[in-house]
Amino acid sequence: MGRGGGEGQKDIMQENNQQPNPYRKIESTTAYRRLMTAYYFIAKKPSWFGKKVAWITSGGPVEPLYAMGVLPFYPENYGAMCGASRMSVPLCEAAEHKGYSRDLCSYALTDIGSSLTGKGPLGKLPKPDFLVCGNNICGTVIKWYEIQARAFQVPLFFFDTPFIHDEIQDHMLKYVQNQMKDYVTFLERQLNRSFSEKKFQKVITHSFEAIQLWKEILELTRRHPAPLTAFDAFIHMAPIVTLRGTRWAVWYYRKLKKEIEERVKKGVGAFAREEIRLIWDNIPIWYDIRNLSKILSSQGAVLVADTYTSAWALDHLDLNQPPLEGLSKAYATIHLNQGLQYKIKKMTNLIESYGAHGFIMHSNRS
Amino acid sequence: MEKVASLSEVLKEVETIASVGYREIGSYLPKGRQPIGFFCPYVPEELIYAAGGHPFRLMGTPIKISHAQAHLPPYCCHLVKSSLESLLQEELNFLKGVVFTHSCDSMLGLSDIWALQKPSPIHFNLMIPSHFDSQQSHVYLKAEVQRFKDFLDSHIGKITPQNLKVSIQLFNRIRESLKETYQRRRRDASQLPGKAFAQIIRAGYLMDRPRYLELLKELLGALEEKSDGNKDRVPIYVTGNMTHSDTWFSLIEEAGALIVQDDLCSGARTFRLAVREDLDPIEALTERYFNSYFCPTKYMGAQAHLESLLKDVQDSGAKGVIFLLYKYCEAHFFDYPDLKLALESKGIPTLLLEVEDPSYSIGQLKIRIQAFVEMLSPF
Repeated sequence: MGRGGGEGQKDIMQENNQQPNPYRKIESTTAYRRLMTAYYFIAKKPSWFGKKVAWITSGGPVEPLYAMGVLPFYPENYGAMCGASRMSVPLCEAAEHKGYSRDLCSYALTDIGSSLTGKGPLGKLPKPDFLVCGNNICGTVIKWYEIQARAFQVPLFFFDTPFIHDEIQDHMLKYVQNQMKDYVTFLERQLNRSFSEKKFQKVITHSFEAIQLWKEILELTRRHPAPLTAFDAFIHMAPIVTLRGTRWAVWYYRKLKKEIEERVKKGVGAFAREEIRLIWDNIPIWYDIRNLSKILSSQGAVLVADTYTSAWALDHLDLNQPPLEGLSKAYATIHLNQGLQYKIKKMTNLIESYGAHGFIMHSNRS
Repeated sequence: MEKVASLSEVLKEVETIASVGYREIGSYLPKGRQPIGFFCPYVPEELIYAAGGHPFRLMGTPIKISHAQAHLPPYCCHLVKSSLESLLQEELNFLKGVVFTHSCDSMLGLSDIWALQKPSPIHFNLMIPSHFDSQQSHVYLKAEVQRFKDFLDSHIGKITPQNLKVSIQLFNRIRESLKETYQRRRRDASQLPGKAFAQIIRAGYLMDRPRYLELLKELLGALEEKSDGNKDRVPIYVTGNMTHSDTWFSLIEEAGALIVQDDLCSGARTFRLAVREDLDPIEALTERYFNSYFCPTKYMGAQAHLESLLKDVQDSGAKGVIFLLYKYCEAHFFDYPDLKLALESKGIPTLLLEVEDPSYSIGQLKIRIQAFVEMLSPF
């Protein structure tokens, strides 16, 4: 390209960059911050509330924990918070100083570093009473939770969900269902009391309702213009991860859904200009969401959907089955536990149903 | 009178098999058996063999990665990258099928990429559990092993009870002969240096298995023992994620070390997979995986790897441990710091070699190994 052509291209880009593309803030964010502050306050001082704490993977079956009155804490969610707060680097370095390779998952390194140093947005975290690890999200968690089990000297329950390359086999599902029963037995032993089916039913109902609401919110972004972006979803997904099974998640998502539906009625988008609709694949770049959003929106590009936040819209949760069995299938068949053909189909559906022009695939060591 | 093979003849045959590349190896494989690729000892070779297949272990080669970069991120281990590279460069066209298992996330991904790039009716995913500390997983694994058997029955050849019995016996005898080879080397490795030893191990995953057992017996028959065969050699234990490699074994032993034991998943670790011959074969092929710690991708309790490695190292009499790890292996690198701490707290020095294949810093690695061995040497 000659000097003239290059200069011309630069002019167009500068013109686009200079065109403002105002972002409409989500009003419910204030309520979101209050909710999550309350959650983290309890997580920081569980004994004040008479709570035992279980550290659990983001895809782990949390409903039995809430049914037993246990507070679940999510090291991955905390890792995301550390990333967003730009506190991850020294924490990872602390883990590396202990001998962990820099090439390892940065969520895990952040959490290990936080445990070693007592540093992070919440400072020193209270020791968990026990750990619950589900490998439906990845195999890394097995090693991560083994390390923490050794470090904290606490029991670990491992919920093993075999990966599904094509379809789930009957004996695979049976294996997962049997483990769910073992999980309940484990909890009864840890807490020295019986599992309440009544409380569990209530928690499942809340969980199902929150998941439905979250799905419906995500589906609203099929509209043109998208009333919510994937960057918003990355933030507002915290309750579906950490508070799934509580009435608080239901309360919050009813509120958020109402606000987003208002935008749809008025034909108002998250951004004033929406010229390019994109799908995001994989984990967000937690420490630079705002900047990335600006870069894209300055070009009129909006992330209308993603594969990460929709992973918590458990597709196969079936309330017509006995709850433990329904949960088993839901957790065994999440997006991350499925093979390439499933993921290709899902991406294709997202692109078609959200009217996307393209997608961004994020490759990261996490 | 039956000709007794000389040691050099045995080693020559082994070296040929272990060194010939994928493009040429087809002619060395047993006729009449379909070569079926696999990566991991969690795949019961006994079943593949009993079905009339030839289990061919893919262990990675020092191939330059180019085509695979279009499919994999750079932070995948060498075994995954090089295997895909070999597939895409059409080096593996001699294989009639492939069996993957659930070891690590990279392997899970590789299976799906492989199926897309080279679709084959003989592509099986043996989804072993990740939890090896529960009765539930035993029941599940047995069903999965049965499912594998049924697949082999219909896609390669019917597995009769007699064929399976003979196959199990064959692989058990191979393990026993290899175990004896390790023991003989501990007494006198002068005739079987590290490079040759690694080639012997490697050949066992490539060549006709009955012939391999014959070779091992010939080898053991040909070996002589000198009382001072290992004089001045520093006994070392090698732990890691790679299969036996003549490059690394010769590098370590040329520095004055003797690798007395390893837990590489091509070598001594596989002795833990002996199959009981007094049980129902499917039950026996299942239960062996639960008897002892085997692989860091699997959960057997938070202390299992530490306890197993510590005991194995202490039993071996090794003066030091070398961690020989391909880069980007999460399972091993997550375990490494606590393993190192546990060993060093018992007065056992360690050295970490984090490598790629081929390595571009052999000189540097050589110096580090020499320094480590020198540090351990009493002389």
